[in-house]
Amino acid sequence: MAAFAAMSLILGGLAARAEDGDLVAHGAYLATAAGCADCHTDAKNGGRPYAGGRALTTPFGTFYAPNITADPDTGIGRWSDAQFLNALREGVAPDGTNYFPVFPYPSFTKITDDDARAIKAYLFAQPAVRQANRAHDEAFPFSWRFLLNGWKLLFFNPGPFRPEPERGAAYNRGAYLVTALAHCGECHTPRNWFGATKPSRFLAGTPHGPDDKAVPNITPDPKTGIGKWSVDDIVTLLKDGQTPDFDFVGGAMAEVVKNTARLTDADRRAIAVFLRSVPVAPSSR
Amino acid sequence: MKSSTKRSTLAAAVICALAAISGTAPAQDKETVAKNREALMKGQGKDLGSIKAYIDGKGDQAQAEAGAAGLIQSTRKIPDAFPPGSGGPSPDGKFAAKPLIWSDWTKFLDIQKNAVSKADVLLAAVKSGNRSTIETAFSDLGKNGCGACHETYREKLQD
Repeated sequence: MAAFAAMSLILGGLAARAEDGDLVAHGAYLATAAGCADCHTDAKNGGRPYAGGRALTTPFGTFYAPNITADPDTGIGRWSDAQFLNALREGVAPDGTNYFPVFPYPSFTKITDDDARAIKAYLFAQPAVRQANRAHDEAFPFSWRFLLNGWKLLFFNPGPFRPEPERGAAYNRGAYLVTALAHCGECHTPRNWFGATKPSRFLAGTPHGPDDKAVPNITPDPKTGIGKWSVDDIVTLLKDGQTPDFDFVGGAMAEVVKNTARLTDADRRAIAVFLRSVPVAPSSR
Repeated sequence: MKSSTKRSTLAAAVICALAAISGTAPAQDKETVAKNREALMKGQGKDLGSIKAYIDGKGDQAQAEAGAAGLIQSTRKIPDAFPPGSGGPSPDGKFAAKPLIWSDWTKFLDIQKNAVSKADVLLAAVKSGNRSTIETAFSDLGKNGCGACHETYREKLQD
């Protein structure tokens, strides 16, 4: 009897560990889709993965991505699941302050609770790095964090992703990847004077993207967007970075392709299916 | 007629000599460099196209082979297509070669040499006729050859 109890305890423990392993693996995949490492690693200066420090230049100042390793003092090691979810979904830090929307929580708010927990499990399974965060260098008056309350009231629509079952599984998976995890619109959608993305111009591109670089229109507009691209063309771009005229993407998109290349073919196809069906929005030129 | 041709040849020679002495490329020359550079890259796109057509069962092997051989040649010419100080916009103004190329020259050359060896692998794959081998070599050259360089050294100016 005792032996049986011990046995079932061990088996139960093993099962729990296998489950944890699955959760971590699932989180790794989601973190790749979300490109967490891209901003939260100062790769240019040999920074450790997820330890932060990468400078992100915006019209509102220079922001330094924080440490999201499990280090208890300099990272997020003391965070509960609820605090992690609150950061991703509401843009609020454990101390109650608002994040600047350079952290793409207007997209991440759509991430499901389960996926957010898996991402946290993955991050906590990575080596913890002790590296203090660098203070942001916000341009006045954006340094006034309390103004973010107003900004959020005006421009932030919290809430989970809402599937549209009648449009099919591929469309919905693609919509979730594009609008929540991969946060494509954070670069591909133009922003207003307050730095909020313009919903009516979803994915319509902008001459002033991150680092003031041009970002292309990826709506199905045949002239200024990718309306002439087939689903296969989009899949190829996400896999190899190759455009239909055999050019290869550079800059920030080359970084993104390193992530999308590691997604399943089904997910790349889902992204393509969704992109083919977003509203056409010609570039204004 | 003949003497005017001679005179313009002489003038061109003088300009070239002056450029060589001063060490900086004249504006006109920089434009030509950008034009030739774009032509080289567009040619590479065509060569890749002929290989892709073969992968997709729409083109023939001989053409794909010629394309792969062309890619080896053109990729070898890349260092010459980027003389010092020839950064700046492409003729259509859509892209620019970053000055980082010349401050990072050895790294730039590493990527280029790496791309040449990937093009060698691609040619061997095309000769084998095995479509899945070709596909792997094709995407490796594109992503880790062409793409690696564009990621760091090319800037998008306009959409």
